[in-house]
Amino acid sequence: MHILVVDDERGIREGCRRILAPEGYAVDVAEDGRAGLEKVRAGAFDLILVDLMMPLMGGIEMMEHVSAYDPEIIMIVITGFATVETAVDAMKHGAYDYVPKPFTPDQLLAVVNRGIETRRLRREARQLMEERDQKLLEVANETSKIHAIVNSLADGILVFNSDKQLVLWNPAVVKMLDLSGRIEAGRAMSDIISRKELAEMIGKAYLSHSAKYTMQSEEIELAAPEARTLMVNLSPVRDSGRELGVVSVFRDITGLKEIDQIKSQFVTMVAHELRAPLAAVEGYLSAFLTGAAGSDPQVNRNMLERAKARTHSLLELVNDLLQFIKLESKKVVRKKELLDLTGVLRGTVELLKPLGEEKGLRFKLELPDSLPPVEADRGEMEQLFTNLISNAIKYNVNQGKVTIRAKPGNHFLDIKVADTGVGIDEESLPHIFEEFYRVSDPKTRYTPGTGLGLSIVRKIVESHFGRIEVTSKVGKGTTFTVRLPMKQRMSEARNQG
Amino acid sequence: MDRKQRILLVDDDVDFVDLNRAVLENHGFDVATAFSSREGLDKVRFEQPDLIVLDLMMEKHDSGFAFAKTLKKDPLYRTIPILMLTAVSESTGYDFSQELDGYWMKTDDYASKPLLPDELVKRVKELLSRAKSEA
Repeated sequence: MHILVVDDERGIREGCRRILAPEGYAVDVAEDGRAGLEKVRAGAFDLILVDLMMPLMGGIEMMEHVSAYDPEIIMIVITGFATVETAVDAMKHGAYDYVPKPFTPDQLLAVVNRGIETRRLRREARQLMEERDQKLLEVANETSKIHAIVNSLADGILVFNSDKQLVLWNPAVVKMLDLSGRIEAGRAMSDIISRKELAEMIGKAYLSHSAKYTMQSEEIELAAPEARTLMVNLSPVRDSGRELGVVSVFRDITGLKEIDQIKSQFVTMVAHELRAPLAAVEGYLSAFLTGAAGSDPQVNRNMLERAKARTHSLLELVNDLLQFIKLESKKVVRKKELLDLTGVLRGTVELLKPLGEEKGLRFKLELPDSLPPVEADRGEMEQLFTNLISNAIKYNVNQGKVTIRAKPGNHFLDIKVADTGVGIDEESLPHIFEEFYRVSDPKTRYTPGTGLGLSIVRKIVESHFGRIEVTSKVGKGTTFTVRLPMKQRMSEARNQG
Repeated sequence: MDRKQRILLVDDDVDFVDLNRAVLENHGFDVATAFSSREGLDKVRFEQPDLIVLDLMMEKHDSGFAFAKTLKKDPLYRTIPILMLTAVSESTGYDFSQELDGYWMKTDDYASKPLLPDELVKRVKELLSRAKSEA
């Protein structure tokens, strides 16, 4: 500990040094205020003993300067005029205590020791304060990290304290619940959440009987700002049994819900499509066995034949379903190769020709010797054109015509499959690629079909980055055009050839 | 009986129509057929059936309900008994009692497909006799 003694009396200066040095203090001296101030500025003193009456710069003036320089240095006044007035005046100017002249060594030491102790305590207090400030800064940093994390979440978060006041939220929840303009720390839940059922839901988490749950989950439907379904997870926050508040996490599950609904609709349709033919078959067989339709052998035989035909179409439906599900699956492995479709088209027509000849149909193939290659899966291309050409046969009139024409355009290869059949009315045309859609037309009532053929066609075309178009005229016929992207432009192919 | 009782079959499944026609004709009924809701509503006017056997799922999954509601609102036809048939059972979420709340009459009934020939004849006869005693 460093002590500076400022006094114009040499005897006092040396006397102080002799008293203080043996106690372990480092003692320096100055003979007036100005010299003392210079020493204060040059060194690090903990305590100054200062005489009030000095030439050049008095004690009061010096103390003012010292206070300005370092308010924590302890200053003790030594004065020969030990009146209450001077002492009070000195205290006003920053003195910690005073020692009247003359003084005994014990009196001086008592005052100095007390001053030094105060100095030490002040220093410790300051250190503690600095440490606390540092910790607060760390806490603030931690808080801002948590904020950054919370703000980056796609799930919405609202945290209310035990008084149902808002303490934490993130931008996602503001958007989800349309809270902009209302959100503010400390605001009451009832001012922020306008939807009654949502407020009730969060309120439930505060009730004492919720204490046994660590989390409660509920779904909620929102009409505004847009129709959405949210999954709300409510978790009460407790600290040694005390309720601190409730954390609400909101997850948008609208997309999942939609997929769920599409799935269950599809399953319902499949169930219907499978049950209807089975029910028909059971009906025919039962009528045959019980004689419910009478005893005419021709009628009864006819029923068995219809049952068999229905069984066959059921098998086809199952095959189509398997194919359809395979195409739906993202994992389907397509063995795409550079393919000249002339082979696929000729092969498919050869295969289906006998079917068409039963109806007396003529087939017309307008194909060049070779077509510019498309990148395609051979098996899927065969399926695609089998479906289109067999439709052209099934829905054709007797003695009609099926035309298959392929023509390369600038970027796309166009393959047309045209029939001269019953045609499709305008009302039905937009729906024909939908699963299980079948045009209801008395003329095709007895034509078997699964309702999946064209859905499969569309899926195959789309998985090859192509397009399918259809034009139709009732009573005249229907033309499907498959447009597949060519691997090379026609002009390039020509240059290479 | 001065004239045969007439049943109108409304179903887009041609096998059901043909099979049930054979069965009902064999049991002495006069049978008219329609393959869609629209055709069915026309036939109700022209054929004046004593009972309608109606398929639920035709052009839409609930076409039969729309058909029945139209009919039940019409004072001329609301008393014609309807036997509603469906290949899709309650397990898929349809609740028959609620869908037509307030429209169903004592003389209406529903059954899930397949309704075997003997059972169909039994139900049709039951409904017809109930309708007779109501009137």
